Amino acid sequence: MTTTTRAHEVDPITTEVIRGAMETIAFEMAVHVSLTAVTPILNQSNERNASILDETGRLAAISVGVPQLMLTSRGPVSFALETYGRDGFAPGDIIAGNDPYHGGGHLPDWNVFSPVVCDGDLILFASIQCHHADTGGETPGGYCVSAMDVWAEGFRCPVIKLAEAGEEKEDLIYLLQTNNRVPTFTADLRAQMGAARHGAKRLTELVEEYGPETVRAAVDASIELTERRIREEIATWPDGTYEAESFIEHDTMGNQDVRVHCRATIDGERLILDYTGSDDRQFLTTNGTLANTRGMILSQLTTMFDPTIPKNDGLFSSFEMVIPENTCINPAPTRPVSAGTHHPGVEVSEALCLALSQAVPERCQPQIYKAAIPTIIFGTNPETGQFFVDHSVDSLATCSAARPSGDAWGGIPTAFGNLVLATAEVNESLLPHRQLSRDLMTDSGGAGRWRGQPGSRYVKEVTATSSVYTWVIGIRYPAKGVNGGGPGSRTRLVLRAGGEHEYEVDHTAFYIEHQPGEKIICDYAGGGGWGDPLDREPERVLDDVWDEFVSVEAAARDYGVVVTGSLEELDLDLDVDATADLRSRMREERTASA
Amino acid sequence: MGYQIGIDVGGTFTDFVLVRPDGTFDLTKTATTPYDESKGVVAGLGDMAAAEGLSLADLLHATDAIVHGTTTADNTLIQMNGAATGLITTEGHRDEIEIRRGWREDIWDIHLGPPEPIARRRHRIGVPGRLDHKGNVLVPLDEEAARAAARRLRAMGIDSIAVTLLFSFVDPTWEARVGEIIAEEFPDALVSLSHEVAPSAPEFERTSTTLVNAYIGPRVVEYLQRLEEELEKAGYAHQLLVMLSNGGIATVEAVCHRPITVLASGPAGGVVGAADTGRTAGSTDFISVDMGGTSYDVCLARGGQPDVKSFWNWIHRYLITIPVVDVLSIGAGGGSIAEVKAGGLRIGPESAGADPGPICYGKGGTKVTVTDANVYLGYLNPEAICGGRFALSAERVADSINDQIAGPLGISVTEAAAGIFRLTNAQMNQAIQRVSSERGHDPRRFDLIAFGGNGGVHAPAQALDLGFPRVLVPKAAPALSALGILLADHVVDRAKGCVSQVERLDLGLANSILAEMRLEAEKELANANVAHHQIGHTATAACRYPGQTFTLDVPVHLDEDTFTEKSRSALVADFHRLHEELHTFATRDEPVIIVELKLRATGETPRPRIAPLPAADTSVSDAEKGRRKAYFDGDFVDVAVYDGTKLLPDHEIAGPAIVEETFTTVVLQPSQTAVVDAFGNYVITGGAA
Repeated sequence: MTTTTRAHEVDPITTEVIRGAMETIAFEMAVHVSLTAVTPILNQSNERNASILDETGRLAAISVGVPQLMLTSRGPVSFALETYGRDGFAPGDIIAGNDPYHGGGHLPDWNVFSPVVCDGDLILFASIQCHHADTGGETPGGYCVSAMDVWAEGFRCPVIKLAEAGEEKEDLIYLLQTNNRVPTFTADLRAQMGAARHGAKRLTELVEEYGPETVRAAVDASIELTERRIREEIATWPDGTYEAESFIEHDTMGNQDVRVHCRATIDGERLILDYTGSDDRQFLTTNGTLANTRGMILSQLTTMFDPTIPKNDGLFSSFEMVIPENTCINPAPTRPVSAGTHHPGVEVSEALCLALSQAVPERCQPQIYKAAIPTIIFGTNPETGQFFVDHSVDSLATCSAARPSGDAWGGIPTAFGNLVLATAEVNESLLPHRQLSRDLMTDSGGAGRWRGQPGSRYVKEVTATSSVYTWVIGIRYPAKGVNGGGPGSRTRLVLRAGGEHEYEVDHTAFYIEHQPGEKIICDYAGGGGWGDPLDREPERVLDDVWDEFVSVEAAARDYGVVVTGSLEELDLDLDVDATADLRSRMREERTASA
Repeated sequence: MGYQIGIDVGGTFTDFVLVRPDGTFDLTKTATTPYDESKGVVAGLGDMAAAEGLSLADLLHATDAIVHGTTTADNTLIQMNGAATGLITTEGHRDEIEIRRGWREDIWDIHLGPPEPIARRRHRIGVPGRLDHKGNVLVPLDEEAARAAARRLRAMGIDSIAVTLLFSFVDPTWEARVGEIIAEEFPDALVSLSHEVAPSAPEFERTSTTLVNAYIGPRVVEYLQRLEEELEKAGYAHQLLVMLSNGGIATVEAVCHRPITVLASGPAGGVVGAADTGRTAGSTDFISVDMGGTSYDVCLARGGQPDVKSFWNWIHRYLITIPVVDVLSIGAGGGSIAEVKAGGLRIGPESAGADPGPICYGKGGTKVTVTDANVYLGYLNPEAICGGRFALSAERVADSINDQIAGPLGISVTEAAAGIFRLTNAQMNQAIQRVSSERGHDPRRFDLIAFGGNGGVHAPAQALDLGFPRVLVPKAAPALSALGILLADHVVDRAKGCVSQVERLDLGLANSILAEMRLEAEKELANANVAHHQIGHTATAACRYPGQTFTLDVPVHLDEDTFTEKSRSALVADFHRLHEELHTFATRDEPVIIVELKLRATGETPRPRIAPLPAADTSVSDAEKGRRKAYFDGDFVDVAVYDGTKLLPDHEIAGPAIVEETFTTVVLQPSQTAVVDAFGNYVITGGAA
């Protein structure tokens, strides 16, 4: 990616002022959706991502949200530019698109954006992307796990104008609503349109204040600065070639061992990420679009650099990517992709992180999860008589990996972004279910110098006849540890639990009807550890036993730490000598087996 | 009427305002004593007594009211030295507090660690017992399990226990029962029950709030009771009143019942003070900004009332759902450090504080701060800053700006210093936009009220950036919080979860909730010696559309204290209208959901009457104390410097000019005019687009 050099100069202070203003505006747009959307996934879970792009579709600034998704807004805007031409935009236009093969990630993700046009001159776009509760197609909820191609997944919209020069096109909005099962789609879309309108208005004020050329020059300068800073950091990394693989045990149809391969080459300030060797079987049902793959690469890489580096298009131009066509991470434009935003999406991040952990382990925390797709529950809510879809974005813990500088924490990894998980008291009031547990599970966090966060046991009881579909991974390939750290625990999903039809899902659950009183039980995967568990201070292991993160048995088995006494009697203690003995024995055994 | 004293403890200084019986007032500051704030408080009172020519006992005898803003609760959370705290909760939900709804403060920084747990996992115990969302029993409460939990927490050395059971805001019976069981098994434990602390959904927010209350409670209670005793011994004969985070005041007794109500109360006093300044200047819609040494607090007020927010309030990394004056705080102040980072200029949030402070203080500070830039630009008088308490070393400032900022960016020292001023303003402007335009308010329709030691330096320039028609800088700007807490009313906020479609709301239930809350509030106000005729109350309802999470507070129009059919239809109409106003759209065919009923009771205090300044018998030029070079519109120009203490009502100053008060400075931009009002406040107009 080359950056155009402009004649107009801008001083570094003005650049910072304009950059800060744009980030504030992006944040305002995202907040607007949180405050106004109707669907829980948008207003509660913050799955809305704002970004500001320049007239060529480059990212100028982003707000907080889900990292890989914020970084995918370039595609739809670029396609709109191709479609309408640079002169094809007027103030008050609102453009929308959701098509994975026209720059998007998957069909539920609608990108809505509005141009900033001053005196006929296109300058910026304000873009807001939201994950909607439904997208038509074969299956409610947007994740059509049985789709054999993209058409089966739902309503495709490459790009349309929902408003022209401020005039909303009711016919098109009605068309979209008609192709969506969820009656609140229009309300959510309007929240999104309101955010785009607000962003464009505020950006117009910014352009009026500074003039278009200064704003353009500031965007250029910010992007160049980001690119330079990243290259400077890469230059400090050890040169070499590092490879790693990451697997999904099966796609949604049970095809085994879907592979993502990453070969990372560091050569001075150059970083080349080559994904040649990734799975190219053409019948796989889980594929991630190119836009999604790039977003996943970026969301992992970004965490490896100074967090204060501004997030913009300079991220894309600072390194090289080779992502072969007709693979599961850059599929032919017919393939189904609904689940691919998750997998092989995060495996793109995982392979990259594991490869680079051989060079710069102190910068590596895998930004991954092994959630497959959420457990989607749908049916008719007896209290309202209305159709409902529950994405199960509930409070739970999974795959939070240990940090290079400390234990893992919280519920979910950074890859989920600023997702705010739903609560029992609110969702039980809206949806026909009960959330009976999400407690963390002992011995499920990966062992290490720093421990992975345990996964949680999630128990949800349906109170109305409901249909469940989902796809499960992390069964054979759990979250890996880094730099000698152990893996997190494996996923286990049991459906229709508590009745005679209880069974464990092997890879995919297609529309499993649940009767009131039947439960969905999921042991969500734990996060991976970081560094050698034998280097963890025994006192920390003892603390973990007190807190039931680690059992007495696992303390000895995984950490070589001998703990005496019991939790019940409140007399847990370290046996310092026995610990020293055990650890040296374990180290000897390692040397011997090596 | 006797003396009235406002005491506001800040991070660095404890500010005092003494209002004399004749309405004149005085400000002073002492160093804050964080290990025990009462030391600094008593020292300051002694100083004030001496300045009045009185003994401490004589001053306190002659004092009618002492109102206190304390940071004890905040410090307890910052230093994490609160009570050993445990949690009893519904089985299956003990890790809610650790999962935090998935929230992380910075998703880009992999080195960011978790907040220290208030209750470690070993001290969080789930007990069987489950209600559904309507309060029906699904699984009965296992009292034996609750009893065992209380015993276990006692055996583990816990002092304070939070109890949060699912749906206790619908039916609190079980939670109250667990409270009784704890009292039987562990009589010494302090107990915080979630339905008393924050009786609303959802569970993470209520659990977090209750845990924070349990954790900070003992220290807050101990501190306030001790200070009350000390003041009584020293001769003070009235109730000690305490500033709350909701912008009101309460008695020590009321605070001891819900100590969390003083958490995050720091900025509230300043906002109340700003509202008073606004009132005297005829301004009801304003944005107040408090710029001190380390932080910049921004608050938007309409109709003279600041917005109060009770959801998603993260305070020192912990969530609390009590009403807090909705102040956005960013790390920008005089002490904020400017540095070139990741190739660009960055200001803050790190601060040099007061020790070592900015380079110009000459106390060993080596990093360039905003104050250093302001000294270089001529805005601040190197000799007179902060009442002349610091021997400023201006000469090192230019070298440091050159080495740390100008050199790395390849610009001149003047460009660098002006850049620091501009970028600081830009960051503060963004904070102003976040409370205004982000929430659907155009800042150009508001006045800007600026205070704190540095507010007057920056606000006039910011007004030009943002198009504020007027800037008000109060006479008491450097200690406005201390004045504000003296002017605050008693405020009792009560809220109770009440989930229903408004159309189907059981009016009997609504009225009994309101009556109960009113009774509680009136009782509390009676204990504070507020006369019945001085009590007013307003009801609001937190409402949303189906499926939304965040609610809007909508005023409830009661008919002689009763929620009637008329109130119901007005509530629905008002919600749609408010939603449209703030969020650009309303869906009038959707039902409106009510989540919570709220009651706010206010009791008027005998407000001190601040006397106007005497009419001017001098001309403005008498207050001119000299001239110096300062940076305006791209150049250093020679401007007049005025002694603020000599300016009197109706004096008018044309910018560019600088006014120096004892503890603050006002920097008037070219094309702006400042007029001194009857109370000595600066009213700045002109120049805005």
